[in-house]
Amino acid sequence: MFRLFFTPEWFNGWDIVFNVVSLLIAFLIAGYSWRIYRINKDTKYAYFSLAFILVFVGLIFKSFTSGVLYFFPVREVVADVLRPVAGQSLQLSELFYRGAFFIQMMAMLSAWLLIFFISQKSRARLKRFYEVSQIGLFIYLVLLISIVSNFQYSVFYLTSTVLLGLIVLNYYKNYLNSQNKNTKRIMYAFMLILTGNVFFVFVSFFQSFYVVGELFILIGFLLLLYTYNSVKRR
Amino acid sequence: MAARRSRLELIYDILFSVQNKGGKIKPTHLMYKSNLSHKLLNQYLEELLQKELVVVEEEFSKKKQKSTRTVVITEKGLGFLAEFRRMREFTDAFGL
Repeated sequence: MFRLFFTPEWFNGWDIVFNVVSLLIAFLIAGYSWRIYRINKDTKYAYFSLAFILVFVGLIFKSFTSGVLYFFPVREVVADVLRPVAGQSLQLSELFYRGAFFIQMMAMLSAWLLIFFISQKSRARLKRFYEVSQIGLFIYLVLLISIVSNFQYSVFYLTSTVLLGLIVLNYYKNYLNSQNKNTKRIMYAFMLILTGNVFFVFVSFFQSFYVVGELFILIGFLLLLYTYNSVKRR
Repeated sequence: MAARRSRLELIYDILFSVQNKGGKIKPTHLMYKSNLSHKLLNQYLEELLQKELVVVEEEFSKKKQKSTRTVVITEKGLGFLAEFRRMREFTDAFGL
């Protein structure tokens, strides 16, 4: 099998299954949020829906690129289609890195950023957390600019990790204010997705981190589904 | 100071007041329970009647020897209440 990233060979294909489950959950949440928007015309629900649609799109592109890379016949068909455009010296790894992976990164980062902004609420009681998150984001951007030229692949997961960290912080604030069981679950779900991304950052050191990261992300999305179901069952 | 209620929240409060009174309530009681002015309540009741979320029934009171109007919540109204609670739960859970 063709290997582009640090994926253990035995896991090829399983990550696609995990991603398909996650993208279906994202689609469900986006759909329900859009339904609420249709009822009360509050734009925050439309943005929230858009955020989960972006997660959906990001995961579709991730699954598609992985599918093409893992399965030889599909890869050959794609190469034949693209050869007239890219020329004889077609480098699939280059093409995927610059094309599909770029769309995946853009969609996922936009989604996390949108969720961060939507979940951001200034509350007098927790002003300190608000300031810490703003300062944290600023420091991160400065660091990112400094190191972006040295890294390529891990920068995406590093950015996701920071954004997800801020989302978790927002949900922690939200939980402190509401003491709601479901809010706590959402916080844990994003915490699991965050942990998955932390493992992805260090995937170049240990291949098994990719499997652990994918597992954490899947459990995070399943917890989102569980919370969504408990809300819908009421 | 509490924030102003949105249109949907007002509708929820009206329907919730009716449900809390066993599904039927007199308009005057409804006015107090939902904390609305007479004018506003009539406007909203008009809308709820059009959307078939409530119906108005005439009841003959033997004690007072005259008929009185009562607002009765419909199945559709109960459905709206359930959906609104789900929406609120979703909003709270996802911190929207």
